[in-house]
Amino acid sequence: MPKRPRLKEILLRWEVALLVLLALEIVVFGGINPKFLRPRVLFGSVNDFMSICVVSLMVTFVLVTGGMDIQSGAIMGLTSIVVGVVWNDLGVNIWLTCLLGTMVGALCGAISGFFVAYTGVQSMVVTLGGSFLYSGLALAVTKFSATESYKGISGFPKDFTQFAKGRVFDVIPNQLILFLVLIVLAYLLLHRTKYGRRVFLCGINRAAAEYCGINTRQVVMSTYILSGLSASLAGILLTAYLGTAKTDLGKELTLPIITAVVLGGTSNLGGSGGVLGTALAALVVGILRFGLSMAGLNTQYLDIPVGALLVLTVTVRFGLMNPRVSALLRRALGKKTAAERRGSA
Amino acid sequence: MPKSNLLRRFAKSREFTAIAFIVLLFLGVGLYKPNFLSLQNIMLCLNGSVVYTVAALGIALVIICGEIDVSVGATLGMAAAVSATMIRDGQPWALAIAAALGVGVLVGLVNGLGVAVVGIPSIICTLGVNGIVRGLIYVYSNGKWIENLPFAFKALAQGGVGELTYFYLFALVAMALLHLCLRRTRRGRYLAATGDNVGGAVLLGIPVVATKVISFVACSVFAAIGGLLYVSRVGFVTPIAGNGYEMKVIAACVLGGISLSGGVGSMLGAAVGAAIMASISRVLVFLDFPTDYDNTITGILLITVVVADALLQRRAAEQARRLRLNAKTAARMGGGEKGGERLA
Amino acid sequence: MERDERAASAEALVSLRGMRKAFGQNMVLRSVDLDLAPGQVLALIGGNGAGKSTLMKIIMGIYTHDAGEMWIAGEPIAQHKPAQALARGVYLVPQEPMLFPNMTVEENITMGFQHQKRSELRARLRALLEQMGWRMDVARKADSLSIAEQQLVEILRGLMRNARVLILDEPTSALTFSEVQSLFRTIVDLKQRGIGIIYITHRLNEVFEIATHVAIMRDGAITLYDEVHGVTHDMLVKGLLPPDSKGGETAPARPAQQAPVRQEPLLQAEHLSGYGFEDVSFCVYPGEVLGLAGVVGAGRTELATTLIGRDRARSGRVLLDGKDITGLSTRAVMDRGLGYVAEDRFLHGIFRIADVAANTSAGALPCLGRVFLDAKAEREMAAEYVDSFHTKVVSLRQMLGALSGGNQQKVIIARALSTAQRLLILDEPTRGIDAGARRDVYAIIRRLKAEGLAILLISSDMEEIVELSDRAITMFCGRLNRTFARGEIDQDRLMAAAFGVPKEGERGA
Repeated sequence: MPKRPRLKEILLRWEVALLVLLALEIVVFGGINPKFLRPRVLFGSVNDFMSICVVSLMVTFVLVTGGMDIQSGAIMGLTSIVVGVVWNDLGVNIWLTCLLGTMVGALCGAISGFFVAYTGVQSMVVTLGGSFLYSGLALAVTKFSATESYKGISGFPKDFTQFAKGRVFDVIPNQLILFLVLIVLAYLLLHRTKYGRRVFLCGINRAAAEYCGINTRQVVMSTYILSGLSASLAGILLTAYLGTAKTDLGKELTLPIITAVVLGGTSNLGGSGGVLGTALAALVVGILRFGLSMAGLNTQYLDIPVGALLVLTVTVRFGLMNPRVSALLRRALGKKTAAERRGSA
Repeated sequence: MPKSNLLRRFAKSREFTAIAFIVLLFLGVGLYKPNFLSLQNIMLCLNGSVVYTVAALGIALVIICGEIDVSVGATLGMAAAVSATMIRDGQPWALAIAAALGVGVLVGLVNGLGVAVVGIPSIICTLGVNGIVRGLIYVYSNGKWIENLPFAFKALAQGGVGELTYFYLFALVAMALLHLCLRRTRRGRYLAATGDNVGGAVLLGIPVVATKVISFVACSVFAAIGGLLYVSRVGFVTPIAGNGYEMKVIAACVLGGISLSGGVGSMLGAAVGAAIMASISRVLVFLDFPTDYDNTITGILLITVVVADALLQRRAAEQARRLRLNAKTAARMGGGEKGGERLA
Repeated sequence: MERDERAASAEALVSLRGMRKAFGQNMVLRSVDLDLAPGQVLALIGGNGAGKSTLMKIIMGIYTHDAGEMWIAGEPIAQHKPAQALARGVYLVPQEPMLFPNMTVEENITMGFQHQKRSELRARLRALLEQMGWRMDVARKADSLSIAEQQLVEILRGLMRNARVLILDEPTSALTFSEVQSLFRTIVDLKQRGIGIIYITHRLNEVFEIATHVAIMRDGAITLYDEVHGVTHDMLVKGLLPPDSKGGETAPARPAQQAPVRQEPLLQAEHLSGYGFEDVSFCVYPGEVLGLAGVVGAGRTELATTLIGRDRARSGRVLLDGKDITGLSTRAVMDRGLGYVAEDRFLHGIFRIADVAANTSAGALPCLGRVFLDAKAEREMAAEYVDSFHTKVVSLRQMLGALSGGNQQKVIIARALSTAQRLLILDEPTRGIDAGARRDVYAIIRRLKAEGLAILLISSDMEEIVELSDRAITMFCGRLNRTFARGEIDQDRLMAAAFGVPKEGERGA
C-alpha cells in the first residue's frame, strides 16, 4: 500500500523542516562570522542554552497531556539558591546538595501537579501561582544565608563547576553529551514506554483514558514532577556553569522554553507532539540566540527573533490548517496541502 | 424544582466567592492591626494599584472572552517608552498619548488577528508577540533609561480629589463604563457569550472573530493607558518597564473571580483583584514581615483561591448530579421510599 | 418527479438543487435535491457520515456548498453566513444544545438580536411562552437546565427569531420518554403554525409518529423521498442499506434454540443501589447475552458505569465468580475480566487523534510489556481484531477520527474485549452507526457468545434486544421491573416494560 511510507514521511516532516532550519542557521551564521563554525565554538554554544534544552524536553510531556507549565523558571531559581545556601551555609557535600536540589524541584512539580490533576484547576493558573510561590520561596531561602541575596553565592568546588564547563577531548562539552543522553531518555520514555503511551492517551481524551482503566490523575501529576525535576537539573547545571547560585536564574526563560516546545510541533491542546521535535527546536532557538549575539546583536534584542520565529511558524502551521487557506493553496498548487494530509492521516 | 436551586445559588455566587474570601482576609489583617483599615491606608493601597487596575480591566475583557494575553507587560512598557520619549523631547502631550494608544491598537490588532483569524492558540501567539515587543523596547530606547521628564507631567500623578488621585478616579470611571458595556450593551454580551460557548455563539450569528479582535485591541489599549500612568507615576522608564506585569494582572483577575475558561467574571472583580495584588507588600509591612515574601504570598493566595473555588464548584456539581439521578429513581416509584430517605 | 418544478420552489421554505460538497478528496454530498414546504415535518434519516449534518450546516451557512443551487423562502442564495441564515428564518437546534452555561435562560434566548431593545425582547419572550403554554423560569442559569429544558430553550431561540424553518438534529437522543412526548406535542403545534421542520433521526418509529415526509440519505445522496403514508418500515430499512446488500440475510442465522447449560452465574448483582438506580439484582451466565432494555435516562448507563468502577455504589454488592468486586477501581475491575463499551463513543470511547493500534491496545496496556511498550504485540493484537471484525482501515497507523462511526465502534469493542476475559458490557453498541456496520456488530456479538463470553447488552433499541438476547431484563426509572425468559422476549412486551406500562402496550412499529 502506498499509504504507509507517505504517513511516515508526514510524521517526519516537521522534524525535517526543523533540521533544515538548523542547518540554515549554521550556514548563515558561519557566513557572517567564520569563527562560529569552529567545533569548539559551535558545540560550546550548547553550554549557553542548555537550560532551555533540558527543561523543554520535559515540558513537552506536560503539553502532551494538554497542560501548560510556566513555573520552570521559578523552580530553576529556587533550586539554584537552595543548592547554594545548603552548600555554603550548612556545609553539606556539594553532590549531596545537588540531590537535595533535584528533590526540591520534584517536590515543587508535585505540588503544582497535584493541584492540576486532582482539583481540575487550569494548569496555566496553577503554574502561574507556582511561579510566584517558588520565586518567592527562593527569596525567602536567601534569608537563611549569610551572603547578601543580590550578590549570589559563589566559590563552588572546582569539580562541581568543572562538570558543567568541562569538555570531552577538549571539544565536546559535557553538557552536550548530557543533553544527548537526556534526549534519548526522554524519547524512550515518551514514545517507547507504556507510561508515555498513557501520557498521550490522557492528552487526547482524558475521560476515555479513565474508561480504559488509566489513572489519569497520576499520569498528569507525574508529568509536572518530571518537568520540575528537569527544571531543577537545569538550575543546578546553570549554577555550576556560572559558578554562582542566584534566585533569578531562570527568570527570562519561560518564552524560549515554551517556544521550543511549540516550535517542535507539540500542540498546547494536548495529544500530539514529540521529544525529537522539541530537542531540535530547542537547538534552533538556542543557536539562533547564540549566532545572533556572535554576529554582534545586543543580547537584549534576542527576544525579537525568538518571538518572531514562534509567531511565524505557528502562523504557517495554523494557517495551513485553516480550510479556507488550504483550499486557496490547493487551487494555487493544484495538489493537496500539508494540512489536508495531516487531516486525512 | 428545588434541587436546582442549590446549584443555582452556588453558580450565581461563583464570581463573588473569590472576592469575599479575600475581603475577609484583609479584614482579618485589619483586626490585627486596626491602622490597616484606616481610610488613608486604604486610599494609599488603591492609588498605588492604579497601573495594575487599568491593565487588569483590559485583560479581563480578553479572559472573559475565553482567551489569554501575556503580552500586556511588554505593551505597557512599549507605550511607556514611546510616550516618555516624546514628552521628554517636548512634543505635545496629546501627541504622546495618541502615540501610546497607537502602540496599544497595533499590538492588539496583531494579537487579535493572529488568534481570531489565523487561529493560533492565544497563549502561544501573545507569548511570541510579548518577546517581539519586549525586544523592540530595547531597540527603541537603545537600552537606555528615559528620564528627565518635565515636572508638570509627573505632577499629574499626584493631583486628585481629596485622598483619591485623578488617576484612580479615571480607573474607577473606566471600570464603571466597562462594566456597563459588558452587562448592558450588545457587544458586551457578545463578548461574554463568546467566552461562554464559542460554538453556540457562531450558531447564533454572533461575530465571534470581530468580538475577539476587539477584546484584544481593548486589552492592549488599556495596557497602553497603564503605560502612560506608569510614566507619570514613576517618572522614568527603563527598558524592563512592565516586565512581569502580565503575570501579575492575570493573577489579579483570577483573584477577582474571573475564570480563565471564559464567560465568568466582572470588571469589579478585576479591580478588586488588582488592588489586592498591589497591596500585598503593604500588608506584609503591617504584619512586620519582610516584603520579600510578596511573591510567596501571592502564589499561595492564588492557588488557594482557585483550588477552593474549583473544589466548591465540583462538589456542588457532583451533588446536583447525584440528587438529579436519585430524583429520577425516587420520583415515579411511589414517592420517597428508601432512596429518598437515604439521601437526607 | 419534482426535480424540474423550479417554479414550485418559490413557495417552498427551502429548496435545494444539485447540492455538492467535498472536504478535500472526500465527497460528502453528491447532488442533493430537497424541498421543504410550510407545515411539513420532513424526517431525514441516514447513517453517520451520510451527509445529513453537512447538508444542514450548509443550509445554516456554517459551510458553503461547492456547487448547486439553494433557495430559502424563494430567494436564491449563493453563499451566506449563520447571521444571514438566521435573518432568513432558518434555525438549527443542534444535537447537543449550544447554550451559554453561565447566562440566564432569558439571555440565552435573546442573545444575538441586532435591533431590538431588551425590554421589547423580554415582552416578546413572555408572550411566546404564554402562547406555547410552556412554563419556564427565564432567570435560571442555563447550566442548571436538564437536556430537555435546554432543547426547549433552543427551540424558543428559533421561534423568537420568527424561524420558519426549524432543523432538529436528533432531538430525542438524550430525552426521557415523557420528554419525547412533550417534544412531539410541540412539533405538532409548530407544524400547525406553518413552520417547516427538518427532523433528523436514527429512530424509524419516530418517522411514522410525527413526520409528514421522509427522506433517506446515503453516501451523500437522497435515496428515497416520499410522503410518510406512502412508505413502509421495510422500505425505509431497504433505503438505508447499501444497494448491494441483501438485507439481514447475510447475518448468521440465530443459533438453534439450545437450552444453555445452567452453570454458576458469572456475575451477580445483589440489591445494588447507586446514583441513578435502586435495588437492582440480576445475574449473567457464561455464554449468554443478557439484554438490558430501557429508555435513555432509565439508569442503565449509571448501572454499567458503577459495575465498571467509575462511580460508587451506595449499597448492595456485585459478585464475580462469587468474589466481591463492589467498589473496586476501573483498573481492578478490568483486570478481573470485565470490559465496557461506553454509551457515548465520542466522550468516553475514542481517542480521535491516536491510531487504530493505540486505540485497540489502550485498555490492555498492563499486558503489553513491563516498562517498554511491546509494539509488536500491540500491532499483532490490533491486526487480529481488525481481521476478525472486518474493520475497514487503511492501516493500523490510521487515525481513529478518520474512520466511519461503525468502524470506530468495532475498534472500541475490540479494546473492551482485550480485557474482557469474562464479561463484556455493551452500552448502546450500535448507536449512530450505519446498517452494514450494525450487522457486523451483531455478528461479532453472536460469535463472542458462542466462544463462551458472558455479555450484558444494554440498549434502547428493542429490535436489537430481541435479535440478540437469550434472556432480557428491563429497567424503568432506575429499577428492574421485569425479567423475560428466552421464549418471552418480544418487542411489544419489552417496549411496554421499558416505558413502565403495567400491561401490554398497544404500541407497534
